[in-house]
Amino acid sequence: MLGEIVKGLRTTFKYLFKKPVTVQYPEVKRPVRERFRGRHELKRFENGMERCIGCALCAAACPADAILVIPGENDPAHPNSPGERYAATYEINMLRCIFCGYCEDACPTNAIVLEHQYELAYYDRKSAIYTKEMLLVPPDKGHGEIPPILQELNRRPSPPAQIDL
Amino acid sequence: MPDVTLTIDGKTVTVPAGTNIVDAARAGDVAIPVFCYHPKMKAVGMCRMCLVEVYTPKIDPATRQPVIGADGKPELALMMNKLQAGCVTPVSDGMVVKTVGERVEFAQRGVLEFLLTSHPLDCPVCDKGGECPLQNLTMEWGPGNSRYDYADKHHNVKPVALGDLIYLDRERCILCARCVRFQDEIAGDPVLGFDNRGRNWEIISKSEPAFDSKFSGNTTDICPVGALTSSDFRFKARVWELRSTPSVCNHCSVGCDISIDMRYNDLMRVMPRENDFVNEIWTCDKGRYGMRHIMSGERLKTPMIRRNNAWVAATWEEATRYVADRLTLVRANYGANALGGLAGAHLPNEDLYLFGKLFREVLGSNNIDHRRGTPDEPTALDDLPNILGVGAGTNLTTLGKGTAVLVIGADPEEEAPLYVLRLRGIADRGGDLTVVNSYPTKLARFAKSAVTVRPGAEAAFVQALLGAIFAEGSANEALAARLRGADELKRSVSGKPLADLAAAAGVAEATIRAIASSFVAAENGIIVYGRAAVGAGPALTQALANLALVGGKAGRANNGLIALTAEGNTRGALDMGVRPDRGPGGAAVTAGMSAREMWAAAKADTLKGMYIAGMNPAKSNTAVAEALSQLEFLVVQDLFMTETAQLAHVVLPVATVAERDGTFTNAERRVQRFQQARRAEGEAPADWSLFQEVARAVQAMAPASPTAAPAKKSAKARAAESNTAVAVAAPPASWDYLVSSDIADEISARVPGYKGTSYTSLELTRKSWGRQPNESFYYDGTSYENTEGVGVQLPALADDGKSVFQLAYREPAPAAADEQFPLTLLTVVRAYDGGEWMRGSKLVPRTVPAHVILSVADAQQLGVGIGEPVRISSAAGTLELRAQVDAGLSAGVVLLPLVKGADLASVLTGPQTRVSVAKA
Repeated sequence: MLGEIVKGLRTTFKYLFKKPVTVQYPEVKRPVRERFRGRHELKRFENGMERCIGCALCAAACPADAILVIPGENDPAHPNSPGERYAATYEINMLRCIFCGYCEDACPTNAIVLEHQYELAYYDRKSAIYTKEMLLVPPDKGHGEIPPILQELNRRPSPPAQIDL
Repeated sequence: MPDVTLTIDGKTVTVPAGTNIVDAARAGDVAIPVFCYHPKMKAVGMCRMCLVEVYTPKIDPATRQPVIGADGKPELALMMNKLQAGCVTPVSDGMVVKTVGERVEFAQRGVLEFLLTSHPLDCPVCDKGGECPLQNLTMEWGPGNSRYDYADKHHNVKPVALGDLIYLDRERCILCARCVRFQDEIAGDPVLGFDNRGRNWEIISKSEPAFDSKFSGNTTDICPVGALTSSDFRFKARVWELRSTPSVCNHCSVGCDISIDMRYNDLMRVMPRENDFVNEIWTCDKGRYGMRHIMSGERLKTPMIRRNNAWVAATWEEATRYVADRLTLVRANYGANALGGLAGAHLPNEDLYLFGKLFREVLGSNNIDHRRGTPDEPTALDDLPNILGVGAGTNLTTLGKGTAVLVIGADPEEEAPLYVLRLRGIADRGGDLTVVNSYPTKLARFAKSAVTVRPGAEAAFVQALLGAIFAEGSANEALAARLRGADELKRSVSGKPLADLAAAAGVAEATIRAIASSFVAAENGIIVYGRAAVGAGPALTQALANLALVGGKAGRANNGLIALTAEGNTRGALDMGVRPDRGPGGAAVTAGMSAREMWAAAKADTLKGMYIAGMNPAKSNTAVAEALSQLEFLVVQDLFMTETAQLAHVVLPVATVAERDGTFTNAERRVQRFQQARRAEGEAPADWSLFQEVARAVQAMAPASPTAAPAKKSAKARAAESNTAVAVAAPPASWDYLVSSDIADEISARVPGYKGTSYTSLELTRKSWGRQPNESFYYDGTSYENTEGVGVQLPALADDGKSVFQLAYREPAPAAADEQFPLTLLTVVRAYDGGEWMRGSKLVPRTVPAHVILSVADAQQLGVGIGEPVRISSAAGTLELRAQVDAGLSAGVVLLPLVKGADLASVLTGPQTRVSVAKA
């Protein structure tokens, strides 16, 4: 009996002098893993063009049917993306999304990336639908390059995005 | 043909001699991959994808006998000692074919690798992606990767417009020539061709305007890659996102089976649906690109009532009650005969039936019609195909040698485009095609004999054919026992020598004899007649009936008459009794006013109220617009605010074909069912539902009306009542249709001939030829298999072996010489007529402004050049139009295409108008 109490208290005292693991969220935020799957972003090419070509393969791959893509034809004078097709409408319903990352796998241009933001809360269902404007990164950042962890491992994301646009 | 037995991959198959290996393999459930081969066209062996090992028995050169090996079987040798293209190698007895194995797979992989050397990897962008034969075959037979240097890929400017409807991506094109061959061999518009050589080889359009064909959309279906895409569907959606609904095109009397491909509630594209009895696997551009109007933002959404000369939106109940109120008022003040109704003949059978019922049984008026009442419409209704139409079971796709087709007074390319393909197909398969018309038509190019007759001499021509048959004593005795009055007819026709008859027709006697003998001698005979023939008057239709009967070409499948009617469901309108002279199924009624009589009555103030559904008679016709504006009450039920609707007191929006269920009856009297593909904007109901609401409201207002005959309740209606135990007021009991199949049930019970047309029987299919063992259809391309029903062909009265026919002789009207008006003006339909169906369509640029077509001789005599204005004068009035010149047109004939943009009715006095033309 006494033995058990001592055993328990030993564990207590061991942790009493360790640095606590609890983080004071939301004041303090723990960094996530490199491959964490959070909110999606639509990346751009380095020249500022949208990587998304509106092929809707993400929507086809999505097991939760969370993605809506309505394609359009690029104006050759002012193209949104390389090639003839672009996504005129791109919406993700974050309430439906299960963050499985199949959309990333399906994307032939590495346009859609599940990034690290996980604070997704809404006051109504409608605001859970993220539109293309919300998902698309500003032109000067986020080119959807190979994530650092894969670079370290000297691996390319799958599939290798080589298509003729 | 004798059958040939061969072995394919160890399976023994027996096929007719002359079959190629690809088709023979299909019979044995073996799929050989192909790109260029298409069963509807001649094999060319261009793509080499179907390379297979072919072994034939060795023949001893000395004895000419097969060499028998040690095992007692014939020794086999590899044909030509290399692989053979399966599509161009006919089968022979004892042949052994191997479609798998190292050698074949190596070849197929090689062919695919070659095809892919310069094929761009842009499947995510390509519209064909997801239904692409190249994708499928690469997955199944192709190499996993390419050895080709990426930098050496061939690059081209991405889309080039082959025409305004079809775009070509030269990088994707594998040069299989399916599109070129379709245009040459099937559509008969040889407007595509190859240009350049080697790596620069490419498809070009040779015509001006580019890709000038009414069948251009079909090339995108049969294209095995994404090289040809239609401007109507480019980047609209991915194909796996589409939901297909079976439908039927109502733009013309062919009644092509189509598939309406929707995404959510939006129309994405229209595709043909296979039906060998109707459209094989094709459809014309009118059907394919002419459905955009259902998505038009200009469509009416709410019912509107005109109050103090301004449109006020109303609720459905308010509007229908107001209509009933006003119609009852007109009837109470002026009698039922002051009411008239017009329903467009593109409406489905269910609507037309209820429209007739509303007028005859509820409003008590027989003044209903499906015609527009323009002066060029013939006075008499032509209901001949009901009696002598092609027999049940007719399938033009199977006809060829031994079939004689006489096309008279018709321009199928403009009136019913798909008949060009189908009739040409009969000619290609060895049938005799004779085209008789008073102006040049495209079909004449494929005819064995093409005859030009003077307008008005068509009947004389057919009498001459009869004369030739009697003169040679070659009348077919097949129907002789069922004919009455044959001797009188023979006496009347033979009264004149054949030379005189031929002279009256203006055709050489030898030609007449040749056509007559080939028609009578043929095993099957079909007479196709169209607008010009009906316009030529009852003398011609009677003569055609005589010809079919004397020639023994009626009363069985593949024999009889086909009338190319003006609108998609004119046959249905005739059968449903939307005509002044007869009720549903030809029931006798007191004759009411025809459309033209209604216009006269409205002018004379004896017609006070009208109900116009799905028709725009005021378009290009100011006389009708005037008559309509004199009415006390006009209700128009339509999709758009048309010229007619603008004159109405109440406008009711309705659902389009895509937004409801129903049936159409086509020119061959095949009843086909279409299904709802989308919700209508503003929840607009189907036409029949509005007729029902109005009928109910009228009955509620005047329950004891003497004119409203107590209608018989259908069995179904009674059953519904007893089930639901609704308190029913006595008369309106029969107006309780919930869905369109309730009406269809009543139609099949009450309209003779429509007995077997319940929705269930219309949904029956038969085994489709095109299905392959590997799930692809018609060797790939984008053809849709018909899984939703091929429809039911109504039997003609002649199909009943006991029916007898009265032959009658009508003297053809002699040509009247007219000093004042020396020329004959014919109105001709144009497929792209600028009608309401064209709203929002990619075909709009193909419409032409109103013009008149002169012959070269007349134009020279008048000193009129192309595009110069001329003044046309007739007894009815004058009209100024720009002139076009047609080199094929005979002197003395003037054509007036029925297109939007001029008050064409103002010069017309009848189907054939005597006019004079002067330089304006």
